Order: sequence, then structure tokens, then C-alpha cells
Amino acid sequence: MLNLKIRNPLLKIVGKERLLEKPEELACYSYDAYFEEAMPDMVLFPVTTQEVSAILKICSTHKIPVTARGAGTSVCGASIPARHGVVLCFSKMNQILETNTKDRYIIVQPGVVNIDIQKALEPFKFFYPPDPGSMNVSTIGGNVAQNAGGPRCLKYGVTADYILGMQVVLASGKIVEFGSRNVKDVTGYRLSGLFCGSEGTLGMVTKIILRVVPLPETIKTILVTFDNLDDTAKSVSDIIGSGILPVALELLDKTTINAIEDSANLGLPVEAEGSLLIEIDGVKEACEKEIQKIIEKVETNGATSIQEAKSDEERDKLWEARRTAFGVFAKLAPDIFSEDVTVPASKVPEMIRKTVEITKEYGLKVGILAHAGDGNMHPMIPADKNNKDEWEKVEKAFVEIVKAAVDLNGTLSGEHGIGLAKTQFLPLVMSQDSIEFMSVIKAAVDPDGILNPGKFV
Amino acid sequence: MKPKALQNCGKCGLCLSVCPVYKISNQEEASPRARLQLIKYYKNENLLSSSGLKEIISKCLMCGSCKAICPSGIDHYSQFMEMRAQMRKDHGEKSAIKSLTYLLAKESRIRLAAGAAKIGQKIIPQNFIQKYNLGNIPLKRFPRLNKKPFRQAVPEIIQPDRNKKGTLLYFTGCATNHIFDKTGFSTINILKQMGYTVIIPKKQTCCGIPMLFHGAGKQAEKNVLTNIKCLDKEDIKAIIVDCPTCGTALKDEYPALMQRLDKDVDAAKRISSKVIDIMSFIIQESDLKNFSNSIDKIKVTYHLPCHLKNSRKTSNNTEKILDKLDWIEYERAIDVDECCGGGGTFFYEYPEISKKMMDKKIKNAKNTGSSIWLTDCPVCRINLSGNLKRKDKITVRHPVEIINNVLFNT
Repeated sequence: MLNLKIRNPLLKIVGKERLLEKPEELACYSYDAYFEEAMPDMVLFPVTTQEVSAILKICSTHKIPVTARGAGTSVCGASIPARHGVVLCFSKMNQILETNTKDRYIIVQPGVVNIDIQKALEPFKFFYPPDPGSMNVSTIGGNVAQNAGGPRCLKYGVTADYILGMQVVLASGKIVEFGSRNVKDVTGYRLSGLFCGSEGTLGMVTKIILRVVPLPETIKTILVTFDNLDDTAKSVSDIIGSGILPVALELLDKTTINAIEDSANLGLPVEAEGSLLIEIDGVKEACEKEIQKIIEKVETNGATSIQEAKSDEERDKLWEARRTAFGVFAKLAPDIFSEDVTVPASKVPEMIRKTVEITKEYGLKVGILAHAGDGNMHPMIPADKNNKDEWEKVEKAFVEIVKAAVDLNGTLSGEHGIGLAKTQFLPLVMSQDSIEFMSVIKAAVDPDGILNPGKFV
Repeated sequence: MKPKALQNCGKCGLCLSVCPVYKISNQEEASPRARLQLIKYYKNENLLSSSGLKEIISKCLMCGSCKAICPSGIDHYSQFMEMRAQMRKDHGEKSAIKSLTYLLAKESRIRLAAGAAKIGQKIIPQNFIQKYNLGNIPLKRFPRLNKKPFRQAVPEIIQPDRNKKGTLLYFTGCATNHIFDKTGFSTINILKQMGYTVIIPKKQTCCGIPMLFHGAGKQAEKNVLTNIKCLDKEDIKAIIVDCPTCGTALKDEYPALMQRLDKDVDAAKRISSKVIDIMSFIIQESDLKNFSNSIDKIKVTYHLPCHLKNSRKTSNNTEKILDKLDWIEYERAIDVDECCGGGGTFFYEYPEISKKMMDKKIKNAKNTGSSIWLTDCPVCRINLSGNLKRKDKITVRHPVEIINNVLFNT
């Protein structure tokens, strides 16, 4: 527990309804979707920027660690209070401040859930493209902190591509703002790019101006199956290489499809070695032309079946299947090692081959799942962390997978982030000087290192 | 309990998106994920038992939405029930809940209590009734009890007038028996018209869910065994329920409980396979041609009870019927499938959370412009109608009642 000299002023800021300190309450903020855990000393729910600022002033005076949290769905442990201290939970700071589709932006507080932004925009026939698997529950603050991606980021780009402006509270409690309501804006450094993806290590984002785009006229979704994984992967690089830009191009292997089908009973093709979920959108005529082109490509690569979603319901079913993929793996083993390496699209076939080889070598089970169109791989290894031998193998296999990705001009994480999960692997993809440069920036804005300590910088 | 079952929670957080209590509070400790983690910490002795822990475990509607969405296949019900029993052991129970579980454990006690309550409703001074609330619900808006328990008011076997199609068992539940006898009469009437012989086993008693959900598994055991004995019959086409929660009990919880008790699982499974709610039975067995009528259309809206939504894949059958009936104009409320905050005794134990859920429901129901609000679940029904005001001019009914009124009772 924090000593009373700190506790009482914090209590004064938020009131007792928005402060948690009993062990059974604190325990609920010791985890996210990653497998490590650490107990906070206190949880606070701010609802205004001024409260966040006042809290940070006290915490920086007393050098208390502060870890931001939204809905706690990080898969790299970004919201785990690794060095204890205060968890700043933004889930109650969840107002949509302005919806302006005429000027194509929406202004939100960090606790707004991604799906609620979509719901607010839908009546105007607009949407906000980044769609992480957790979009029904994760908050926009978390999405911004992690620079979240998602399936349709293949065509539309990731969270960072949609931030027009933001308000940030620095460790000192100072409130800074940059960007504006304008798509074109070169006034000063583009600091949104710095804070987006900083995983709460540089400041607390308290307001975000997001760019929004019109909903497409037509969406077409198909599910294609293959009798080997190589053909599946080759289709991916062929489609992307041909100049078509699908909204999403998802690859699922047999293990993954079967895990989903066991849980959800959706009538998925359980016999196929590889499946592609492909979606395109745009003007109706263009969509029809493009889907024909895609069908030609997959047929050349030996597709065994092509099934088009005939209704919104059917389309939802396919996407529901894809969205539950992370969760269903949890059925197979107590822990899931979920990988996030990313390679250029043309290297997808080779990356998949290597991943299968490496896991086989260590005698591990693997499910291959990927936002294949942008090369973002999510191989999932079901294992038991309490089984030391097995876990050691998992870690070794992981290092080899990362090395393989780097050899193919890939990178460590496409969208999950570094957090607790991958800090130690940064040197595999970044030079010492580059890592030090991040530390210099960190020290400049958070000299006492109170913001999300224990994470990658 | 296997600890592995808990470790398999991937903590993905999908359950937060459907948990009615989390949606109101936006605090993790109100979520199913948190409850599972706390149970794990408690079992691993990383967390001591406390009244605060009991409160977190209890502040749950037992609606089953988490179980329905969980990709890891966690059986939240069993986890929560077992933990509730443990918490009840460690910290006792509120006296109101204790008396409820005591009452429901024996049919004679239920009858006695219903009788006493009926006398009570007559002798409680009017000014008291006008003034006092149970949870958010004013006493004056609680339903009157049946003049006579429904099962005593009807014969045990009811034959159809013509074209005999087979025999059904009807499990009436406590609500129909003691509060909403019109639901019972309507159900029988509809089944008769459809050509079925209806048997209402005299020995049946409370399904046991209120006890199981409050961690009083021991008290529930006898009820479960009694019901299994009188429902496990050959040559029965189906076992009809009019209450979704009784349906959940018979369909899902009985087999699970018998497994845990190491008793006749097969009997429970035979029963489970035959249980169907009345609305699903209607649409399964009829093309609704006999349900047509040329009267002016009646505008209705609907509330989908959680236990119908989550326990079976038949969740939208009532809406399908409402859409198909030519004399009904069905106006769907935008939050038709959101929880109303009833949750057995939840509305009484946590009125401040329940009220927030209810306010939204009422607003959206009013927006449909309907004067009739249909719902299958008796607790939802008490909760919805109890929170409405007289000036709202909306009445809440079980769907079978409006069908019976319009088609067969005139």
C-alpha cells in the first residue's frame, strides 16, 4: 500500500468511488491478456485531463510508477504494472466529444471502446478503420498506445495513420497538445507518431482527434481453401503482387480452423490444410472485377473451394471465426505463445515454411494464423508455462522464428507491441545506437522513469 | 474442480464486451474475467477470503453471456456456483437470500410462503404498499399472486379436442404456479389447439436454479432429484418450459450437477434432450397457418431474456414468431437483447446497477411506441413491469398470453 502522505492527496483528486486499494480489487488489475502478472498498489479512475495531470504531479514528486490501462487486452503485457505503483485506468474517461463527418474527424476520450466509435459513425455512413481483434472491448487509448492494427489495416493502414491530433499529459503533469482537426498539418514535429505506439512510456493520452472515412458502397468476402499450406501462402503474394489491394487477406491453417470450429461450430472447412479469408470493398463494379481477378489467382494456385458470403450474416460469421482465433487456442493448452513477427508480403510463403520447420524441430504444436496480406504473422504455440522443458523449447523456437523473420527483412512485432513480452528481443532487430536513442527521448520526457517502467525503454 | 480449467482462461477479455455489469461500471472487478482470476488466486492461496471478495463474486447476474461468448470454453456457471457456495460458507448469507433458498427447497414451504404472501398482500396496509420499494420496484407494482396455485387449478392430464399428435410434459416453474397463472393457462390452451396431450406432473417442484446460483447446492439437490424422477418418462415428445431459466436448469445444469454428484447422468441427459421452451416448440411444430387472424394489427415490442439468448441456439424463435404472425406489428427495440438487470435477486441486491440497465431498456421500449412489451422470463417480467410507471401505459406479458387471448380465448 502507498503511504498515507501520497494516498490522501490522490484520494482527494478522484474521491473514494474511483480509488481501489483492497487486495481483492487490486488483484483484478494485475493482469491483461499476456501471461505475466504484477500487483498494483492502487488503482485510480480519472475522468478529466486535470485529474490525470494532478495525479501525475503527485506521482512524479514521489517517484511512484504509473501504468495506464484501458480494458486490459494487451497481448504483450503493456498494461501490467510491472513495478507496481499506481494503475491509471481510463475506462471511465469514455466520452465521445465531437463527431464531425463533414470534416471527417471524431474527437474522443481515451476510454471510449473502439466498437462505440464505429457505432457513433455508422448513422453517418462513416467508419474508423483500425480493427484489432479486441475491438469489441479494447479502448481507443489502448489502441493508440499500442498503435493497434487489425485485418483491414492491409488496405486502410494502422492506428497511427488516423491520428490527426492529441492531448497528452506528461510525467510532470504538464498538459501538451499537438496536431489539429486537419489532415494536412506540418506545424511542428509530428508528435502523434511518437506517442502512438509508445505503450504508455512517454505520457498519458487524454484526448484524441481521429480521422474517419466513408463506409464503402460494397463489401465482398470470400473463403478459399487449399490442400497445402504452400499454395495458400503463394496465393497471398500473388494477389498482393498483382496490384489488387484487398481490405483484408487472412490466412488460417488447418490447426487454427479446427480449433475455431470445435469452439464455434460455424461449418468451416476443417479438412483444408490452408484457408484464406479475403475481403474487398469499394464501388460495386470495381469489386466484381477485382474479385474475378482474385479468383483467377487462387485457382491458378490450386484452390480446392471458393465460398462467397451471401449475406451480412454469413460475412459476420466468417469474421467472428477469425476474431475468436486467439481465444480458442486457449482451449488447447494452459498458455498460448502468440507470435507477431512481420515480413514483406512476398516472403510470406518462405516465412510460413520456416515457422513450420522450426516448431517441428522442437516438437511443438503450432497454429498458423496471419494477416497474410501485410505479412503480419501470428503463429500460435499452445504450451504449458509450468512445464519447464516445454517452455524452454517454446522460447528457443521463438528466437529462431524472429531471426528467420529478420533474415527475410521482417520485424519483431507488427501490431501486438513489445511490452513485457519482447523487450529482451529488441537487439535482434535494432542496433544499440537505435535503442539508446529511444532511451534519450524517454529520459527527456520522463526523467524519473515513472511511466510504465519495466517495459521496453 | 480442475485448476487447469481456470488456467485455460486466456484472459482475452471478450467476456467484458458482453457482461451487463461491466458495461455499467467499466471496472474490471465487475467482469467475468476478474471473477475467474480471483477464484484462481483464492484457490492458489494468493488471496485471502474476505467479505469484499464475496461481494465481487456475488455482483453478477448469472446471465451466462460470458459462458456463451468464451472462446476457451470456460464453464463460468460452475466456477461461480462453486465459489458462491464457498463464500457463503466463509461469510454467511444475507438473511433475505437465506430465507429464499430455504423456502424454495421444499414444495410445501413454497406453497406455504405463497399462501402467506397472498394473505400478506391483502393485509398489508395500503399506505405501506404505496410507499415502499423492493430494490427499485415499488411494492404496488409487484404482481398479485395467483388465487390458487396453477398446478392445483388444472387437472394433471389434459387431452386435446381433436387430432392427437402426441404427449408432452409441462414443467411450469414456480412463477407460473404462484404468480403468472395466465401464462400456464395460455400454454395449455395453445398446446391443446395444436393437438397435444399435456401432462403436468404433480410432483414437480422448483427447478433449483435460485439455490444453485446462490451457492446453496445442497438444498438444490433434492429438488433436482425429485424433478428428474417425475420428468424422465418414456413416450414423451417433449418437455415444455415457459421460463427460460427453468429451461437452462433442465437443459444444462441438471446433467452437469448429476455428473458432479456421480448420480444418474443418463436420466438427466434424456430429460435435457427433450426440454424446449414453448415458443420454440410452436415454431418447430407449426407453420403458424393456424395462428393467423384478420384483426387490426397489434403493435408489440419484446425483451429477449438472457437465459434464452445464452443457453440455447433457439434464442430468436420468439422474434421469428412475432415477425410471422399476420396480426402483430413487431417493433424491435434497439437493445432487445440487452440484460434488464433482473437476474433472479440481482435487482433487489444491487438496485443501483439494476436501475441503470433498466432505465435504458425502458427508454428504448418507449421509443418503439408499443403498448405491449413481451418477454418470456418471469423475473424479467417482474423487473420490467415493476420499473414502468402507470403513465407509461405499457403492459408486460408472456408471448403465449397475447397469442392465446387473440386466437383461442375469444
